[in-house]
Amino acid sequence: MIATVPTALEISDLRKTFGSLVALRGVSLELGRGERLALLGPNGAGKTTLIRCLSGRTRPDGGAVTIDGQDINEFGARDSLGLVPQEIAIYADLTTRENLDAFGRFHGLRGRDLKSRVDWALQWTGLADRAKHLVGSFSGGMKRRVNLACGVLHSPSVLLLDEPTVGVDPQSRERIFVMLDELSQLGTSILLTTHHLDEAQQRCDRIVIVDKGSVVANGTIGELVEQTVGRSRLVTLSIDRPLVAPIQLDGSAELIGETGSETVTARIDDVVVQLPALLESIRRSGYGVSDIDVSSPSLHHVFLHLTGRELRD
Amino acid sequence: MHNRIEMMLTFAVPIAFFSIFAVIFGGGIGNSTTPKINVVVVNETSSQAGDKLIESLQESPGLRFKRDPKEELSREDASQLVRHGIVTMAIIIKGDDGEMQADLLADASNQVAGQVATALVSRALMIQQAEQSQLQSQAFANNLQPNTATGPDADEATSSTIQSESSGVPDPTLSPVTIIDVMGDGKTNPVVSMYAAGIAVMFLLFGATGGGGALLEERESLTLDRLLSTRLSMDELLLGKWFYLTAVGIIQVSVMFLWGQIVFGVDLLNHIDGFLMMTVVTASAAAAFGLCLATLCKTRGQLNGLSVIVVLAMSALGGSMVPRYVMSDGMREAGLWTFNAWALDGYDKVFWRELPVAALWPQLTVLMLSGSLFLVVARILALRWETD
Repeated sequence: MIATVPTALEISDLRKTFGSLVALRGVSLELGRGERLALLGPNGAGKTTLIRCLSGRTRPDGGAVTIDGQDINEFGARDSLGLVPQEIAIYADLTTRENLDAFGRFHGLRGRDLKSRVDWALQWTGLADRAKHLVGSFSGGMKRRVNLACGVLHSPSVLLLDEPTVGVDPQSRERIFVMLDELSQLGTSILLTTHHLDEAQQRCDRIVIVDKGSVVANGTIGELVEQTVGRSRLVTLSIDRPLVAPIQLDGSAELIGETGSETVTARIDDVVVQLPALLESIRRSGYGVSDIDVSSPSLHHVFLHLTGRELRD
Repeated sequence: MHNRIEMMLTFAVPIAFFSIFAVIFGGGIGNSTTPKINVVVVNETSSQAGDKLIESLQESPGLRFKRDPKEELSREDASQLVRHGIVTMAIIIKGDDGEMQADLLADASNQVAGQVATALVSRALMIQQAEQSQLQSQAFANNLQPNTATGPDADEATSSTIQSESSGVPDPTLSPVTIIDVMGDGKTNPVVSMYAAGIAVMFLLFGATGGGGALLEERESLTLDRLLSTRLSMDELLLGKWFYLTAVGIIQVSVMFLWGQIVFGVDLLNHIDGFLMMTVVTASAAAAFGLCLATLCKTRGQLNGLSVIVVLAMSALGGSMVPRYVMSDGMREAGLWTFNAWALDGYDKVFWRELPVAALWPQLTVLMLSGSLFLVVARILALRWETD
């Protein structure tokens, strides 16, 4: 009989209330081994509370969490967990090596293990030549890398990252995601919260959207698009004068556009067939088209569809 | 205007310190009397005049007798009482009825008490001698009157009285009071160790509260959250910080006393055992105090404001800024509620009184107990940071 490999992290019906505020309303999700999962949600959706419950900083009111099949509250279970907070939670007045050394010790590493992991982290972050420099003198991106390294020294099987790229330039963001990809290839499961939808879409295997303390969507970007906005393209046409009345599409009873508007939007499933027909309908109605924008459905559309809010709201 | 702590520091701290120093130097609110000097008296004359002098001294408002003068007390016993700091001064009355003198066995570190006691005892001796002269003059006059006293005995008495009177007139060039320093003999710089201890303890407290503030910085930067999500527990974190602050404090005080030895002649090496005991215990208690104060506050800004007020107030009351002997009794008693007073008393016993280390037990006990209490309070206060 082949034993089934347990998921790296399993969260079941996690609940947490702060006074009258319900932060988590029974969140359930799974994280596979080596999987990269993006946790999205507007501010106040419950992402940070979920991360804090997992890291042991907040005691949930109910529910269960297992890491590698082990109850998270069992002794030593959280040793399999790495936490990288949103803040630069390292010591600015210590050098890179001293920070890594200190956090390695806090995670229980000693002797040769500690030294080899610190050396690995210095290489991994690309900061080997800055090992003896004070972290306080580093750029934001470099501090982020040290911040990240301090959370993975003990080789956790699950890594929790809260906004790992907030406030860093695009180059540093790319560098951080290359580092995370390396970890993922080594088998580390990654759960990250982010406000960058493109990061979630391009860098993660799966996306979970939470809103008001509940999971409202869970799947790959393709699955989420199918479940929500569908595969149709959004076409936005700029016309040469305001609409006098909505336009009727050829061969259809559907009306598009709003009276007084200088743009017309419509959803089409087949660009090659439907776009020329749409343009012809507008021309026949007596309007000229000055610009066309065709956009494929993205996570942004999915997010807006599900939460009714922009991610920063 | 929105920073309340800054506002408080601007206005409340000067007022608080003015009040403390006004009470110290004013001897109390609206009272400007000099603090009483604790004394014992040894009557080596065993004469009525000696007893009368003691009675006169007992009536002096500036002296407080810590032992009943009728109790048997030798000069050596009295000297030991001064050495141990139980009394500030021992008054030894000597000489005969006609020419009484006094030795004041003093602790030279208390420079005020010596001056005051000399004046009070000299005055009492002068009055005593003046009264005796007056009595003798009257007796002499009575003897000149017929039928008052006749015979060879009376003549003898008269001649003796005259002798006494002539020798009893105080010689203005010779003081009848001699101050004998029982503490500072052979010490190159006797009081500098006292000031070294005072300053060292005050900065130990500042250092400890500053170090304790690192905990608040970690909390504000959420590093504390991160630390507590590792294998590190709050117990280990607090104990680790306590050990670190204690070690830094020990080094800080040691360096300061070493400097004192090199530059100002503080005899550190010959008192190393007592110094180490006091320094280890004082530094550990100061570290616990720093952590306690830090866990009491929410932010580093709050801690900065609170620590300035608390440490400076404790230092002023506890004798780090002004010697406690110049304070009124009430202020001295209040000073015993401060950390500094016990630490300074301990260092005083080591460097100034040169007592054996066994004599340090009250100071060591109080500092160890207070340190333990501060640690327990810090741990209880830190509970709120552990989990939501």
